[in-house]
Amino acid sequence: MLNINDLHVAVGGNEILKGLTLNVPKGEVHAIMGPNGSGKSTLSYTVAGRDGYDATAGGATLDGEDVLALDPNERAARGLFLSFQHPMEIPGVQTMNFIRTAMNAQRKARGQDEVSAADFIRLIRDKAKLVGLDDAKLKRQFNVGFSGGEKKRMEMLQMAMFEPRFAIMDETDSGLDIDALKMVGDVVNALRGPERGFLVITHYQRLLDYIKPDAVHVLAGGRIVKSGGPELAKELEKSGYEQFIEAA
Amino acid sequence: MSSVLNNPTEFETALEAAFNARSKTNEAQAAAFDRYAKLRLPNRRVEGWKWSDMNAALRSTTDAPAEAPETILPASPFAALNPLEFRIFDGRIELPAEDMPEGLRYGVMDPVATIPELETHAIATLNVAMTRKSLGIEICEGVDFERPILIRHICGKAGFAFAQTMMRVSPGAKFHLIETFEGEGAGLYSHLFHLNVRDGGECRRTVLQETAADLVLNSICAAKVDGDARFEQTSLSTGSRLSRHESHVHFWAPNSSASINSATLLSGERHADFTSETRHMAADCTTRQLHKGVARDRGRNVFQGKFFVERAAQKTDAKMTANALLLSDGAEANHKPELEIYADDVECAHGSTVGALDDDALFYLRQRGLDEAQARALLVEAFVGEIVESVDDEGVRAVLSARVAEWLGAQA
Repeated sequence: MLNINDLHVAVGGNEILKGLTLNVPKGEVHAIMGPNGSGKSTLSYTVAGRDGYDATAGGATLDGEDVLALDPNERAARGLFLSFQHPMEIPGVQTMNFIRTAMNAQRKARGQDEVSAADFIRLIRDKAKLVGLDDAKLKRQFNVGFSGGEKKRMEMLQMAMFEPRFAIMDETDSGLDIDALKMVGDVVNALRGPERGFLVITHYQRLLDYIKPDAVHVLAGGRIVKSGGPELAKELEKSGYEQFIEAA
Repeated sequence: MSSVLNNPTEFETALEAAFNARSKTNEAQAAAFDRYAKLRLPNRRVEGWKWSDMNAALRSTTDAPAEAPETILPASPFAALNPLEFRIFDGRIELPAEDMPEGLRYGVMDPVATIPELETHAIATLNVAMTRKSLGIEICEGVDFERPILIRHICGKAGFAFAQTMMRVSPGAKFHLIETFEGEGAGLYSHLFHLNVRDGGECRRTVLQETAADLVLNSICAAKVDGDARFEQTSLSTGSRLSRHESHVHFWAPNSSASINSATLLSGERHADFTSETRHMAADCTTRQLHKGVARDRGRNVFQGKFFVERAAQKTDAKMTANALLLSDGAEANHKPELEIYADDVECAHGSTVGALDDDALFYLRQRGLDEAQARALLVEAFVGEIVESVDDEGVRAVLSARVAEWLGAQA
């Protein structure tokens, strides 16, 4: 599924990722943990295609296709979704209109028919209930005046709507209370299946109580420095990242 | 007849010849032309015209025909709202081809002799000298006129054209005025609109300018607002060689309010100037002003807003914001917000920003599947959306939204 091989990425001339290798097979959920500044967000932005995050060596493929060669919207149309660590407020953009435009743009790129207005409204109401956003929020400008938690719910709403093949969740858990964490777990667990993959980036072990990962990786100094099973997350919670910072 | 203009430009020579060739010129118009001879076409050294050099814009020649060609006028984008439609073809007034509705009086009148507050305004003075006939409209006392009144300014030729509209909103009357500036012309079109909103009256005015690139336009609205009255204005302009929309809103009596909103969408070499002077002369009046300018290529957005608060205008509440969005390196925005306040118990504020599209927002939208053109268009639409949304009429709002979408579609 997602195969990242010896990836080097420079941002503004500074090398942040220094030979990162990671494979997430179909049907699996992998977690990436690591200290601040280790390159977690750089990894998610690079895979999603943000300007200014340029691979200087190595590469990344999704089901064998070179994703780094694609425009961000082409990656989205192929089913790559990024749940943003800091979701944007976009004044003047009507939430429903935007999500429908995005959904149809993805469908069009895949050669599928547009979703009808009636089907869309049914779907978004259904998913809004799942993520705990009331309908009034859907009628507002995108994320404007939303709390941090509501913005994360809006990310999960879009993930539930788009049903991506591969989702990167960049610190979706930060700033969330227990109920919201459980909701995130519910959304991910409902989507989990043999054809989908997830990369869950987090600081803390607690999200992994709700999303049981198949593998846990430690990212430090721009490289994966340790990989293991779910028990690795628990171990990190006790011992901290210091040993890895020194090692990197 | 000898020239009263000292060292005239080619354009002014033609103006003066046309003025002298007229059979009926009254004394007031002759006096206005003499005043103009001292004022002359404003250039960039004249206060308030630094970024909109009218003299330079009228110096270059164009290929437009001397007289507008006979063509079939397309339906107005506002036609679906069933407006009462007036037309001004290069200054020539055409009244609606239907019976005069109840509650309304209108006709073709002699032009005004002077507008005291605009006596030092060169183009307004020229307008007073040159205009042959004026359109007069009155909304009678207490009438809530439901159909919009549409004035279509059709600019079809080269050279120059002048027109005036006098409008009176009688006490307690309400209506919605729509003005469109359209056509393929390339000369100077000067329109002077004198509006009086009497006590308790409400006037909503929507202005849409979609003219040819070579037109030079000066549209002046002088609004006298009496007590307990409301004036709401929303303008959308795609600019031209030089287009300048002026609003002179004067509060003469207490407890009135105004909103003066405008948006520009400029491409190529187009230039749009929104200049306003809001004068609070009575207590307890409120003004809200929002300008949103979008410019790409070498488009140039000019905003000059001034709040003038006299000593008597205590408890004035006036806020002005101008935001510009520049989509290309060659695009420009020039903003000049000003406050001049002589009353001590007032709340007045202004703010101004100039920026580019937000990269974070662009990336967010693209990550969700929008291609770059779609993402940019959505953000520009959102930027000017606040102006469109300020119109308190669903039908008018829908037309303005469609015009914005049309402009965005043409840029892709």
